[in-house]
Amino acid sequence: MNVQFKKGVLDLCVLSMLKGSDQYGYELANTLSEIIQISDGTVYPILRKLATDGMVTTYLQESQSGPPRKYYRLTGLGKKTLVSLQQEWLTFSKSVNQIVGGESI
Amino acid sequence: MTRQEYLAELRLSLRTLPASDVTDICGDFEEHFAIGLSQGKTEHEISAELGDPVSVAQTYLMSEEDVTVHASPAAVNTQTASTGTQTAAAGKDLTGARLFVILFNIFITLSIAFTIFGVLISFWICSVSLLAGGIAALAALFTVSGGWQAVTVLAGIAMISFSIVSGIVNYFLCKWTFIGCKSYIKWNKKIYNEGF
Repeated sequence: MNVQFKKGVLDLCVLSMLKGSDQYGYELANTLSEIIQISDGTVYPILRKLATDGMVTTYLQESQSGPPRKYYRLTGLGKKTLVSLQQEWLTFSKSVNQIVGGESI
Repeated sequence: MTRQEYLAELRLSLRTLPASDVTDICGDFEEHFAIGLSQGKTEHEISAELGDPVSVAQTYLMSEEDVTVHASPAAVNTQTASTGTQTAAAGKDLTGARLFVILFNIFITLSIAFTIFGVLISFWICSVSLLAGGIAALAALFTVSGGWQAVTVLAGIAMISFSIVSGIVNYFLCKWTFIGCKSYIKWNKKIYNEGF
């Protein structure tokens, strides 16, 4: 799929995935790369940026198998941003569909 | 690519970042490898899934630049100057646009900004003085003779009301100025980094 398409919405995807529960990087990377065919490595820069922007916080948690994992949790700001990004995306994708879908606008 | 090779290449491509950032980032990728390995994947498979370390590093470098830009919204000129040199867009001559931004800011924006801030400050001083005057008038109520008391009360109340109204107006003026400044800074950054 077109890289430019993905770039803009990855933040939204990651934030949305954290809405239900805290997740660790590997988990997020795996799910996301399965659904929208990006390389796993793309997720980490996004997570780091979200953390510096105050959208998520991180904490370490031991696991039964393997090393401790860095979990990501949405902050209040992250939740707020998610809501507005979601709204923007819905409006935007609807408009694009109107054009691409060939319906008259 | 083995885990060692992948991390080495990542580290090399990130070398312009502060060492603590590089350690943090590499830590994330070490964790990714470790979890992948514990789930029975090979180092080569994990490297392939992660994607080219150089382009991953590129993404980090790009977002770090954004961070430095956002870190100091107050210093417009120094900030655009410092990030601009790093992000010099490939294949496009930005000298003209940059010169324009710098000269425009020095010769035109600076004087306009001083005027606007001066006006705003004097407005605030007016509001505060009116408030002080009003309070002083009310406080001095009993030092004036009977006939003047009504006048003093009215004058005091009038001054306080004016000060409140002008305070509200000032608040909005400051807010709009702030919003205007923000979009002006954004516009400057855009021209500086991307040309006209």
